[in-house]
Amino acid sequence: MTEQNKSKNTEEILGIANNLKWELGMGIHDKIVSSLYADAAQIARKTVSIEGDKPAFSLDRKIDKIVTSRWSGFPIMFVLLAVVFWVTISGANYPSGLLASLLVDTLHPILKSGADSFMPWWLSGLLIDGAYLAMAWVISVMLPPMAIFFPLFTLLEDLGYLPRVAFNMDSLFRKAGAHGKQALTMSMGFGCNAAGVIAARVIDSPRERLIAIITNNFSLCNGRWPTQILIATIFIGGMVSPFWAGLVSTGAVVGVAVLGIAFSLIVSWVLSRSVLKGEASTFSLELPPYRPPRVLQTLYTSLIDRTLFVLWRAVVFAVPAGMVIWLVSNIHIGGVSLAEHFIDWSNPFAVVFGLNGVILLAYIIAIPANEIVIPTILMLTVLVTGMSGVGEGSGVMFELDSITSTENILRAGGWTLLTGINLMLFSLLHNPCSTTIYTIYKETKSAKWTLIATLLPIVLGFVVCFFTAQLWYLFA
Amino acid sequence: MEQPVMALVLGLVAVGTLIWVFWPKKGLLARLGKVRMSSQRVLLEDTLKYLFDCEYKGIACNLNSAAGNLNISADQMAKLMAHLKDMGLVVFEGHNIHLTDTGKSYALRIVRVHRIWERFLADETGVQHMDWHGEADIQEHQLSLEEANRIAARMGNPAFDPHGDPIPSTEGEIPPFSGRPLSSLKEGEVAQIVHIEDEPHYIFEQLSALGLYPGMQVYQLDVQQGKITFAADGNECVLTPLFASAITVQPLPKAEPIQEGYQRLSELQPDETANIVGISSYCRGLQRRRLMDFGIVPGNSITAELRSASGDPVGYRILGTTIAIRKDQANLIFINNIKKEQHEQSA
Repeated sequence: MTEQNKSKNTEEILGIANNLKWELGMGIHDKIVSSLYADAAQIARKTVSIEGDKPAFSLDRKIDKIVTSRWSGFPIMFVLLAVVFWVTISGANYPSGLLASLLVDTLHPILKSGADSFMPWWLSGLLIDGAYLAMAWVISVMLPPMAIFFPLFTLLEDLGYLPRVAFNMDSLFRKAGAHGKQALTMSMGFGCNAAGVIAARVIDSPRERLIAIITNNFSLCNGRWPTQILIATIFIGGMVSPFWAGLVSTGAVVGVAVLGIAFSLIVSWVLSRSVLKGEASTFSLELPPYRPPRVLQTLYTSLIDRTLFVLWRAVVFAVPAGMVIWLVSNIHIGGVSLAEHFIDWSNPFAVVFGLNGVILLAYIIAIPANEIVIPTILMLTVLVTGMSGVGEGSGVMFELDSITSTENILRAGGWTLLTGINLMLFSLLHNPCSTTIYTIYKETKSAKWTLIATLLPIVLGFVVCFFTAQLWYLFA
Repeated sequence: MEQPVMALVLGLVAVGTLIWVFWPKKGLLARLGKVRMSSQRVLLEDTLKYLFDCEYKGIACNLNSAAGNLNISADQMAKLMAHLKDMGLVVFEGHNIHLTDTGKSYALRIVRVHRIWERFLADETGVQHMDWHGEADIQEHQLSLEEANRIAARMGNPAFDPHGDPIPSTEGEIPPFSGRPLSSLKEGEVAQIVHIEDEPHYIFEQLSALGLYPGMQVYQLDVQQGKITFAADGNECVLTPLFASAITVQPLPKAEPIQEGYQRLSELQPDETANIVGISSYCRGLQRRRLMDFGIVPGNSITAELRSASGDPVGYRILGTTIAIRKDQANLIFINNIKKEQHEQSA
C-alpha cells in the first residue's frame, strides 16, 4: 500500500467513524459504561459469596438509628464536640504553662545573657529577643492544644462517627451551597485553620472543596480563643458586676464563635452562587461501618501528620516574623522607631474602624501566628506609651500573669469598650495566618483562590468594624 | 454628631456601589458585558445562525421572522441582511433568504462552537442545565474555532450537544435533519426523543421539570385536540401540542414499547429495596461518574437504609456499602420493582 493510499484510507475511516457516531445516538458512551458495570456486577453476584458479618452490620444499624435520629442526632453531636473542646482547653492549660515557663521564662534569659557575652547587642536582640522568642511562643501556645485536639478528632473519625456528623449536617450546608463534610473541616478549623484547610481534602467535589477552604478562616482557631477570652474578660466582663462577669464574657466569646459560623455559611452561599458558580460540583458521602479505633496508629499519624507538620510550618514563619517584630521596634529614624512611625501614621485611619495603630501593626507583623498577636500588642503599647517598669524592653514580646495589669496597659494605650469589641470582631474577621495562607496555596495550587481566601475575610473585617465603630460613635 | 452620620452614609454608599458593580446578571460588570454582546458582529453571526437553523429544518425564512427571532426591528434586520449580502454570505430569492456556501460554513462554525461549549458546560462544570444555552450564546462569539476544537478533543470529540443536537464536524459536516415533532407522532408509534428545544426558556424548564430528556423512549398513547398523551420510558405524560412540538423525536419502527414504568429513587422509603433502571441524562459529567463508581448502574439493587437527622440526604445500601445521596440527586435516579425488605431475625 502506498503512502497516499494509506492517508486516504485513514481519512475515510475517520469519516465513517464520525458518521457512525451520529447514527449510534448520544447515549453510546453511557451504554458501554453501564454494560461494563452491569457485567461486572453480574459476575460478582455469581462468584462472590458473603458469609458472616451480619451481626456486626445489625449493630451498626442500631447505632446509626440513634446517632442519625431526628431527636437524638443533634444533641449527641453537640455534646461530643463540646467534650472534645473542653478536654482540649482544660488539658492544654498545664503543659502550655510548663512549656512557656521553660522556653520563655527560664531558657530565654539564659540564652540572652549567653548571647550577650559574645555578640553585639543588636545581633543578640535580633536572634534571641526576635527569632527565638517568637518561635518559643508559638511552640508553647500551639503544641499542647493541637497535640490533644487532633488525636481526639482523629479517633472520632476512625471510629466512623464523623461521617455521620456530615450526614446529619448536610442539609444545612446544602442550603449554603456547600458539602456536609464542611461541618468537619469547620470543626477542625476550631483547632487550627491550616489543619482545617488540609482536612478539606475529604471533600472530593472541586467547588465544595474550594468553599470549605476559603471559609475555614471563619472558624475561630485555637490561636484566637485566648485573645477572645482575655479581651472579653477585660472589657465586656468588666461592664457588669463581678457576679455576672464570667457568664457575660463567656457569652460574648461564644457569640463571636457563632458569628463566625454564620459568616462561614453566608460566605459559602455567596461564593457558590457567584465566583464559584461554574466549578464542577458533585455530592458523595460514604457512611463506613463502625469499627474500634486503632489508637496507637491514630496517635502516631495525628501527631506526625497533623500536629508536627502544622507546627513546623508555623515555626518556619514565626522565626523571620520575630526578627521583623524586633527590628521595627529597634530601628530608629529621627529618634523614633519604625513601629512608632507606622502607629502614628495609621492611627487616624484606624480610629475610623474603631481600632488603633498598635492593633493594625500587630496584625501585620504577627501574621505568622495569631498566638503572638496579644504579646505583640502589649509590647507595642508599652513602647508607644513609654510606660516604665513593665515589659522587657523594645522588641521583646511579653504576656502578664495578671489580667488587671494587662488591663492597665491597654487602658493606658487608650483602649475603650469599643476597641475591645472591635478587636474581638477583627480577630475573627481578618486574613488567615501565613501558615494557613501557605497551606491554602499548597492545597489549591492557585494564586487566585489564595488571594481571595486572604483578602475576603479582611475586607469583611474592615466593613464590620467600620459600621460597628460609626454606629457606636453615633449613639455613645 | 455630624461625623459618624457622614461616615455611615459614605460607608453604606461604598458597600452599595461594590454590590451594584459585582452583582451577578444585573450589576454594572454584567451589564457592560451585555453591551459588548450586542455589537454588530454578534448580530450578524446570530442572523447567520438563525438562517442556518431554518434551512436545516426546512422552514422558509424572511426578514420579519429573522427580526422577530433576534428581537430587533425589521429595519435593523434589513440593514443587517444587506450587509450580509455585500459580504457574499446570503442571497435573496423573492421574499425568501438563503445562505451561500460561504455563509453556510460560517454558520456551521458558530454552531459548532456553541454546541461544543454547551457540552463542555454540561460535562465538565457545575453550571445548571437551564444556563447552558445562554452561556453558550455568549461564548460562541468569543471562542475561536481552534480553542473549541481543543476543548472538543479533550472531551473525546463528542458527536452531540446535551440537548441532543448533532455537533458539526471540523469539516463542516452535519447529518441530515431526521426528527419529527412529538406532536406529529401517531397513536401506537414508538420513537426516541432526540432533542428538546431550549427556546423559549419557560417551555424548556417545564419539560425538564417533567423529567423528559434526550434518549428517552416515547410511546404515543392518545392524540386529541389540545392534549397529547404518551408514555416516556413507561411513565404516562400529558402535554399540550405547543409543548409537545418543542420535543423532537425519531421514530423507532421496530422497537417494542417499554411497558414497565419507573419511579425515582427519592420515593424509596427506608427498608425498601428496588432495582436501578438508570440515571437521567441531566445528571452528567463528574456527578454521573461518581454515582456509577458507587455502583448506581442498571440492574443493581438498592436499599434505602436511614434518613439523616434533618431528613435529607438519605443513606442507601448498594453493593455492600452505605452511601448518602441528596434528594435532588435521588430524583435523577430511576428505579422499579420496589419491595419491602425482609428483615432476617437472628434466631
